[in-house]
Amino acid sequence: MRIIIAGAGEVGTHVAKLMCNANHDVILIDDNAERLQQMEAHFDLMTIVGSVSSIDDLKSANVESCDLFIAVPPYEELSIMSAILAKKLGAKVTIARINNYEYLLPENKEFFQQLGVDQLIYPEELAAKEIMTSLKRVGIRQQIDFSDGQLILYAIKVRENAPIVNKTLAEVGEIHSQKLYNIVAINRDGETIIPRGNESFKHNDLAYFITTPEGTQQLMTDAGKEQFDIKNVMILGGSRIGKKVAQRLEDDYNVKLIEIDKEKSNRLADELERTLVINGDGRNLELLKDEGIKKMDAFVAVTANSEVNILACQLAKKMGVRKSVAEVENMDYIDLAENVGIGTLINKKLIAASYIYRYTVKARVSHVKCLTTSKAEVLELVASDDSKIIKGRLSEIKLPKDVNVGGIIRNGQAIIATGNTQIMPNDKVVIFAMPSGIRKIEKMFN
Amino acid sequence: MLNHRIVLLILGLLLVVEGVFMLLTSVVSLIYGEYDLPYFLVSALICISIGGLFYLTNKNTDKSIGKREGYIVVTLVWLVFSFFGLLPFWLSGAIPSFTDAFFETMSGFTTTGSSILNDIEALPHGILFWRSIIQWLGGMGIIVLSLAILPILGVGGMQLFVAEVPGPVPDKLHPRIADTAKRLWVIYLSYTAVETILLWIGGMTLFDAVCHSFTTMATGGYSTKQASVAFYDSAFIQYVIIIFMFVAGVNFSLSYAALHGKFKAVIKDEEFKYYTLITVFVSVLVAVVLYFSGDVPHVEQAFRDALFQVVSLITTTGYATADYMIWVPTISIIMFMLMFVGGSAGSTGGGIKVVRIVLLIKNAYYELKRLVHPNAIIPVRYNSRAVSSPILTNILAFIVIYMATVGVSMVIMSVMGFDLDSSIGAVATCLGNIGPGLGEFGPASNFAAVPDFGKWFLSFLMLLGRLEIFTVVLILTPYFWKN
Repeated sequence: MRIIIAGAGEVGTHVAKLMCNANHDVILIDDNAERLQQMEAHFDLMTIVGSVSSIDDLKSANVESCDLFIAVPPYEELSIMSAILAKKLGAKVTIARINNYEYLLPENKEFFQQLGVDQLIYPEELAAKEIMTSLKRVGIRQQIDFSDGQLILYAIKVRENAPIVNKTLAEVGEIHSQKLYNIVAINRDGETIIPRGNESFKHNDLAYFITTPEGTQQLMTDAGKEQFDIKNVMILGGSRIGKKVAQRLEDDYNVKLIEIDKEKSNRLADELERTLVINGDGRNLELLKDEGIKKMDAFVAVTANSEVNILACQLAKKMGVRKSVAEVENMDYIDLAENVGIGTLINKKLIAASYIYRYTVKARVSHVKCLTTSKAEVLELVASDDSKIIKGRLSEIKLPKDVNVGGIIRNGQAIIATGNTQIMPNDKVVIFAMPSGIRKIEKMFN
Repeated sequence: MLNHRIVLLILGLLLVVEGVFMLLTSVVSLIYGEYDLPYFLVSALICISIGGLFYLTNKNTDKSIGKREGYIVVTLVWLVFSFFGLLPFWLSGAIPSFTDAFFETMSGFTTTGSSILNDIEALPHGILFWRSIIQWLGGMGIIVLSLAILPILGVGGMQLFVAEVPGPVPDKLHPRIADTAKRLWVIYLSYTAVETILLWIGGMTLFDAVCHSFTTMATGGYSTKQASVAFYDSAFIQYVIIIFMFVAGVNFSLSYAALHGKFKAVIKDEEFKYYTLITVFVSVLVAVVLYFSGDVPHVEQAFRDALFQVVSLITTTGYATADYMIWVPTISIIMFMLMFVGGSAGSTGGGIKVVRIVLLIKNAYYELKRLVHPNAIIPVRYNSRAVSSPILTNILAFIVIYMATVGVSMVIMSVMGFDLDSSIGAVATCLGNIGPGLGEFGPASNFAAVPDFGKWFLSFLMLLGRLEIFTVVLILTPYFWKN
């Protein structure tokens, strides 16, 4: 697939890397030659120095023959302009990044499509949504819903107190008469492994489970996670994500938002009616204590600075806050942050990338999601009449070894996959795949 | 730390490729039923078994290629290819001296075309074909070929590509390096095929047509005849060769654009403009001098001879239809200057390259302007874009090192007893990958008389020139090896 990425910012370069590794033909346009040189030296892609809104430069990138045009320059206007031009010049599908919630409203969708922008992405909005999900359920690192939550993927840190620790997968499977959940992958010491039956859980494993809403309760018990409801939330940083989260939370929760900038605090206080906006430095322990950090159930650190977010969450944990969420934009810190025990990690780039990723998968795919703490991806693929995957029971067909089938949704009914499961046409299949396995599994569905 | 296992792995794989080409050549020997057949088979066996051993013992290594591995692989590939490529010449006794065989092979792969052979027609067809095919392989580049056919090189391929493709900044024809390499080879192959057909129609035997097309497109200059192209007294053949030499000296990405109907891009390209301008201007100049000095009294003949020698030298091919050493001295001096210009960046030609010369002259000219307006910002423009100063610095450094190499090498050659003309001619022609030099090494003679040390030294200069100096020199510097 030929993909043009306009804008080599954080999201642009990250998507470019992903697409390159997935063997797509990538052309990256930006006006900063230095940044492009960096990318060209390390990845197998073509770069063009030029303006993303110049017809000439777009033409020199052969925009007329591109399958996917992704506009992610620093400004929203530029992004929309660039996508419109690309569409008119012949790009098949265009995606533009925006910063304005109004544009996302369903009634405006057609308007943008008429202009030539097929899809809009708003990474901050997606990030806020992800934070909301993580606050609804504590004890989990990441939660991904498939088909309106009929199947759910949970990333859970297994501690010593969990009943399943030191048991093999086969033993865990025998605890319950009926299979309630599937263990699709385990992240151990920064490596993701696709476990087989003889693999056992160790302390500090980050395990990925696929289950149904009914199985969730049992899973939490088995994983040693006790549930509690969150009432009090403290947000650090009045960034766009911080504001979005506060807006969504303030009706049902007690929300305090700490922002260091006076001007910004004033504006936020004006816009957020029921949130208590505090002007101060979130790294100051006295301030946090004064604002009752000890009574908080959740702490969300979303300042522009990844280091501050990680440290502040550490501090909050120490003060007894049970759920912490940190925005970590620096990819190299993600493993580190995961290891120091921060509950949920948010990364705008990854979120935007997984949103874009689905347009590049050839098979009929309804959902793709990149995981924050692992290189692997979770895909929801739809089986068709002539897919290879329906040719036999899962234990009989040869699945690639870097792929695991989690569950199936058939006529709105969720099924947890076992070796005996037979996939039927039109089933939605939730699959956990390492990057090396994505192509292989894609083929089995084509 | 240097990952030497990946270096061995790639070298092993490429050796196998070389062995395969030897097998192809052995088919020619088989067809003509000459004595060189077993030697090709033995050479191929040696290449494939040693290469296979290297490959298999390092198969499971980490497949990432860094900058350092890139430079080392590229330099070593050319050396290894020459050492193994000389086997057919040496084993078969066609060239009995090991030094001579190495010189001939290195001269082939680097598309120089300087030869030590005194009686080319006496050699068997297989050997002649191998001489042509090594030039053809070297022309577009061994690495570029490997990128196209070996998917394993995809990782870090850019590092290798940059180190081998001539010119300051290589163009990509396709987002992916392997596809870029494929496209380059398809164009190269098609031009070669078209030229072969035209030469065949023009009266060459099919064998000679193929061999000459190989060495024309590579701007190499090995001929299957001792008298070079002068052997063919046909205006048609000579014009065909002129056209294809000229095309081979043009940036292949321009050929790609032209084949896609984007003629505007070709006409607007500055390097192409100057390349054409220099060629036409110098040819006309030489033709006029030739005609009026009485060396060649016939108008069309004067024009054709002038054009052929000029194109042959500027594209660094090195074919000859006439001996410019016996023309008036003005012409041999003009010819000598042409040796430094070279073809375009991204072509198969050697030398300094037109783009570097153009930028050098522009920069020097703007320097004068800057003296008048000390505070003015006067960028050097190329294809209507400002050239960044790191690129300019790089070009200046390149030309300084190039000229310094010429100077030092000239002295080394003179120590071996050659006069000024011969020394400077031999050095310029080897460093520029051209073929014929001046004085004792003019188009009518060859390099057989050079002592062994001189042959090794000139072979080194050819490699230096083909990899555009930096790649090789870098490896010889101590800081390259420091962590």
